[in-house]
Amino acid sequence: MDKIRKRPVILDGDPGHDDAIAWVLAAAADELDIKAITTVAGNQTLEKVTYNARRIAALLHLDIEVAKGRNRPLCSELIIAPNFHGETGLDGPVLPEPDHKLSDLSAPEMMAKVLRESEEKVTIISTGAQTNVAAMLLAYPELKEKIEMISTMGGGLRNGNWTAGAEFNILVDPEAAYNVYHSGVKLQMCGLDVTEKALVYPEDWERIRSLNNPIAKVVAEWFDFFFIHVSSLGWSGATTHDPCAVLSILHPEIFDIRDYYVDIELNGEYTRGATIADYTGRHSNEPNCACVVDLDREKFVDYLYEACSRYEGWEV
Amino acid sequence: MKKIPVWIDTDTGVDDAVGILTALKLEPIEVVGVSAVAGNTYQNNAFRNARDVISLGGREDIRVYPGAERPLVKKLKVAPHVHGDNGLGEAEIPRSKAPIETTKAWDALYEKAKELKGELVVCPVGPLTNIAIAITLHPDIVDYIKVLNIMGGAAIGGNVTPCAEFNIFTDPHAAQTVLKSGIPVNMCGLDVTLKAFLDDDDIAEIISYGNKASDLFRDSNHMIYEARERVHESGLAEHDSCPIIFTAYPELFEGQKCGIYVETQGTITQGKTVTDLWSDYKFPDRHCTFILDVNQPEFAKLIKTAYKSY
Repeated sequence: MDKIRKRPVILDGDPGHDDAIAWVLAAAADELDIKAITTVAGNQTLEKVTYNARRIAALLHLDIEVAKGRNRPLCSELIIAPNFHGETGLDGPVLPEPDHKLSDLSAPEMMAKVLRESEEKVTIISTGAQTNVAAMLLAYPELKEKIEMISTMGGGLRNGNWTAGAEFNILVDPEAAYNVYHSGVKLQMCGLDVTEKALVYPEDWERIRSLNNPIAKVVAEWFDFFFIHVSSLGWSGATTHDPCAVLSILHPEIFDIRDYYVDIELNGEYTRGATIADYTGRHSNEPNCACVVDLDREKFVDYLYEACSRYEGWEV
Repeated sequence: MKKIPVWIDTDTGVDDAVGILTALKLEPIEVVGVSAVAGNTYQNNAFRNARDVISLGGREDIRVYPGAERPLVKKLKVAPHVHGDNGLGEAEIPRSKAPIETTKAWDALYEKAKELKGELVVCPVGPLTNIAIAITLHPDIVDYIKVLNIMGGAAIGGNVTPCAEFNIFTDPHAAQTVLKSGIPVNMCGLDVTLKAFLDDDDIAEIISYGNKASDLFRDSNHMIYEARERVHESGLAEHDSCPIIFTAYPELFEGQKCGIYVETQGTITQGKTVTDLWSDYKFPDRHCTFILDVNQPEFAKLIKTAYKSY
């Protein structure tokens, strides 16, 4: 009997509403085999996002132990985003309590274990600061060859959000991002260029809510909460950042992806954490990053809807 | 109708020359002073070229003042690969016979701005060193300059680095001083200046006029023309004419209000003009407008009409 060849993935994030939605998409995808979930401080403190990750794993019936990372970035003081994600980091619907214990391994150790044990190359989906990914690459450079690619949500070639020059995930740990971008590992970046076009409107998540399964309802409620702050910034839809890092590997054909050399500013009064692309290629080496810059929004929403519809009859 | 009094601060410069010769012929504006600054070429070249170009334009009555010989902090790095060793792509034009001014740019600009009681529009088309010195030396100049229409920077991209434009990169500290001064700014960066080009037909037409201005155009532009062929750009970007034509005909341009500051501390971003145009974060002070688009056919027509009239 033919078995669908599954792509092994590690989900590394700081849930966070959009991380959570990204993981709902990943868990719904037949093509993906979630080997590990690792957490990183960012949207909220490490303790809070780790608790959230374990609750999401329970919600999605993932039979894995979540591994937590360090409680702060490589060099920076931690920045958190309670304005977007609330005091818990995942305010909104009630979620089931964790049903697996926390892993004894640290996040980078868990990543290394998965890479070592996998026969196939593994894709890392990084939707938070890149602290864990950088630590793993620094500690186990020999495992780089076991990485298929790192698909990230982070940065912005045109603009920042948290500052004029920098996007939140990169700003939280620019030195980590610098290590990842200079690692030589295949890298795909969903920056604000695409994620601020990945707008999900209230009518879109009402359609999702009307699926009336437990996961679809939770997703709609996450959107409800996340949109409170996002709409106050003037957005007409929810900027659905992290799901881009999942959908751009599942359905690259609905995205506009360009290869550029991208570097990370570590200093700067206005630009610390900025992702700087050499658009013309005149100033630097070969491209090091596949930059996702645009998408077919309607199809993006359709895939989100379709993923939520797969949880028909789900028990929580 | 009363003409808009304009001061041009220039590192003359092949495209500076085009801007100056165009400015002298634009109906709505009156060039009331010119100052030279180091940038595309050394200050002494820029000063001589500005004088000679003004003279070629038949306006030896317009005073040209010498300015800064080096940036505030950084070491000067001129661009002979674009503008030649003499700043005009090695083109030779007759020397101006106007008396040589010894008053410095910052003092002359201050006096003129004060005399015009807040009506003066300043078009800096080189590094902003002279303007920064003027602001520092004469703090009340900020009350007398109506607006700075600047050629410099880029909301997206760069030319000397992936994210910095030549004029700002040459003296980022001066640019930051100017942008923090509170004087209103219209920023014509690469976003618009790369759209403000002359195409092959425009170039052929200008050269066909066969007058002294078009001869200078032909003889000065060849290095830029060859560089352009190498990188396959479709037109000859007339960067420095942008703020000048913008001053006379703002309706040909589109821009957006924003805050703009210059990165002076970055490792890879030094000289980047950082804007809050598209970021959720907004600077507390948003007194600038980034000019992002231009009606190119009309822009080219104005330059051609100016050149034809010589």
